[in-house]
Amino acid sequence: MLKTIALVGNPNVGKTTIFNALTGLRQHVGNWPGVTVEKKEGIFKYKDKEFLVVDLPGIYSMTAHSVDELIARNFILEGNADVIVDIVDSTCLMRNLFLTMELFEMGAKNVIIALNKFDLIKKKGVEIDIKEMQKVLGVPVVPTNAKSGEGLEELKRLIVMMAEGKITTNPIIPRYDEDIEREIEHVSQVLKGTPLAEKYPIRWLAIKLLQRDEEVIKLVLKYLGQSKMDEILKHIGELEEKYKRSLDIVMASQKYEFLEELLRKFVRHPVEIRETLSDQLDKLLTHPVYGLISMVIVFYILFQFVFTLGGPLQEWLDSAFSWLGEAIAPHIANETLRGLIVDGIIGGVGAVLSFFPLVFLLFVGMSILEDTGYMARIAAMMERFLRVFNLPGKAIIPMVLAFGCNVPAIMATRTLENERDRILTMLVNPLVPCVARMVVITFLAGTFFPDKAALVAISIYAIAIALALISALILGKFFIKGEESPFVIELPEYSIPSWKTVIIHSWERSKEFLRKAATVILLGSITIWYLSSYPQPVGTGLSYAERLGRAFEPIARLMGLDWKAAVSLIFGIIAKENVIATYSVIYGVSEESLAGAMAHAMTPLQAYVLALVTTLYLPCIATLAAIRAEGGSKWMIVAAVYNLTLATVVGMLAYAIGSVV
Amino acid sequence: MYVPLTALNEGEAGIVVDIQGGPNARAKLIAMGIAPGVTVRVIKGRGPGPMIIAVGSSRIAIGWGIARKIIVRRV
Repeated sequence: MLKTIALVGNPNVGKTTIFNALTGLRQHVGNWPGVTVEKKEGIFKYKDKEFLVVDLPGIYSMTAHSVDELIARNFILEGNADVIVDIVDSTCLMRNLFLTMELFEMGAKNVIIALNKFDLIKKKGVEIDIKEMQKVLGVPVVPTNAKSGEGLEELKRLIVMMAEGKITTNPIIPRYDEDIEREIEHVSQVLKGTPLAEKYPIRWLAIKLLQRDEEVIKLVLKYLGQSKMDEILKHIGELEEKYKRSLDIVMASQKYEFLEELLRKFVRHPVEIRETLSDQLDKLLTHPVYGLISMVIVFYILFQFVFTLGGPLQEWLDSAFSWLGEAIAPHIANETLRGLIVDGIIGGVGAVLSFFPLVFLLFVGMSILEDTGYMARIAAMMERFLRVFNLPGKAIIPMVLAFGCNVPAIMATRTLENERDRILTMLVNPLVPCVARMVVITFLAGTFFPDKAALVAISIYAIAIALALISALILGKFFIKGEESPFVIELPEYSIPSWKTVIIHSWERSKEFLRKAATVILLGSITIWYLSSYPQPVGTGLSYAERLGRAFEPIARLMGLDWKAAVSLIFGIIAKENVIATYSVIYGVSEESLAGAMAHAMTPLQAYVLALVTTLYLPCIATLAAIRAEGGSKWMIVAAVYNLTLATVVGMLAYAIGSVV
Repeated sequence: MYVPLTALNEGEAGIVVDIQGGPNARAKLIAMGIAPGVTVRVIKGRGPGPMIIAVGSSRIAIGWGIARKIIVRRV
């Protein structure tokens, strides 16, 4: 068994950079069992020794009000870590050490403090006496600057020494005033001797009971029974009566006082708060009008960057796959096998894979925006507007990314803090029209409404976005319940991103896309190829796909569409551009002369409904696979059923209204 | 004088004396450094957009609803 090193710390302290520095490219991202919180693990090599590094979710405290906090807390409590590296932002010592104190209270002894951003604090003229700090806190402290790599060698050396048991520590534990200490002592006496006392530090259990921690109350209840529990709670109630407020507040303020005294021993010249240039910038960037204008500009530049650079790459990959198919075809004698490999695998997977450059570049752009600190400003600005629809401000990021491609957008929901917000954002995300759907919308709008193409296209976008927001409102109100997280967001200091972190981060996230292409998408492509080639190819009217289309014709009819539309929509599930491509197969014409052929066969109203339904119905398989990876099969099915139903209802309504008007 | 945080003007500071509201919101505020005894300064008050406050050297954007539940003493 490898020894385990856990990284703990507040968000934005540079945890990821230190994680990358320790593990390099030997890392992988998954989910913690049962929840969709990112689990990052990697191998740390030092000389000839190997360790497992686990990056715990970034949290401000161990109160366990969120899944992230619960994960981190249980990981530490269960003693899973041989070494805990507590990463502390030295520019914000007070708050960061609050978490450290909680770690110590939980009985963690194997702690090393990495005092990160040490260069910044020196620049501000603050002096920290490291030796004194080590003495006061009772654990090793290493000043680091993760970006430049300063102090990391020393950190690595200490980690290895601690893992091998060569360092002894004596962590300081916060003390409260007499009344509270007496109560902690009293509760500890009651708990003594129970099996719980063997598993968890008694003092921690007592403190958590005083703070009325729900998880701990449940746990203790099991061992003590109701009557003893009631007695403890009665005592706590009396104490609260005395302080005239709940103990969690009293203890928090005492803990901060305790910390303040500690800090006085090793910090000199603390920073004066005065308005800085970045404060001026914050006011502008979180302003509902100026902030919105700057956001539009920033996202415009982001999309320009992604599509100018990624567009040609995508086309190149696309033609590379067609070339590959053509090159391989003559070498496969068996017709079935040839069809399977050339049309099914290379054609299908290639169509999705060619989007990889766009996905990767979108992630690069997003990582840059995140690392500069800009994303937090956008989230703060959008919070009020999106809350109306039950979405958090941060949901704006996946929503905007979705205009490019829903796949990275779904993956980006990971940055949302709570499960409910994440699921909700994930479910409504596919309603935002991506580039593939833009192709269909502009083609149909251009063909059937030559004079009003832009207006028609915009109306479809507007309907889709409105439906996404309304869906969030309704789903959030009635179906996906859970606690809303209160709106408090830290605005991290603006900083220049580290290229290494940006690239590793983007690669880690987009790698998932490749893995999906190799599994779910491959399977989907083969299925659709099979349906369209057997028993006769599409166009003959005999293929399973066409029969399926005819089976769905009654539903299509409700929306004023025919079986051809049903077939196209089925193929559109691979990638939405296929809706148009399929029509050219059915009509047996080239894509260039398709517009003319379709204009004869369809009314403008039908075309409008088709464009609308293409936008709203089942997301493409890559998106479905992403939802499954992030939220599990259940939510993938919910998303599929919801979108399908919504598209049918809206399609019928649009046709009915259009027929009357 | 005890007032809600929202009553402070831009540039004014206050010492937190109490936090009302549910345990979830309270815990989050405390963990972010907003606890009784701590001095906070308003960087951006008045609407539109969220409030921005300074706690130590960090900046926190906070909704008006929850800011109203933070009771401070003007300094």
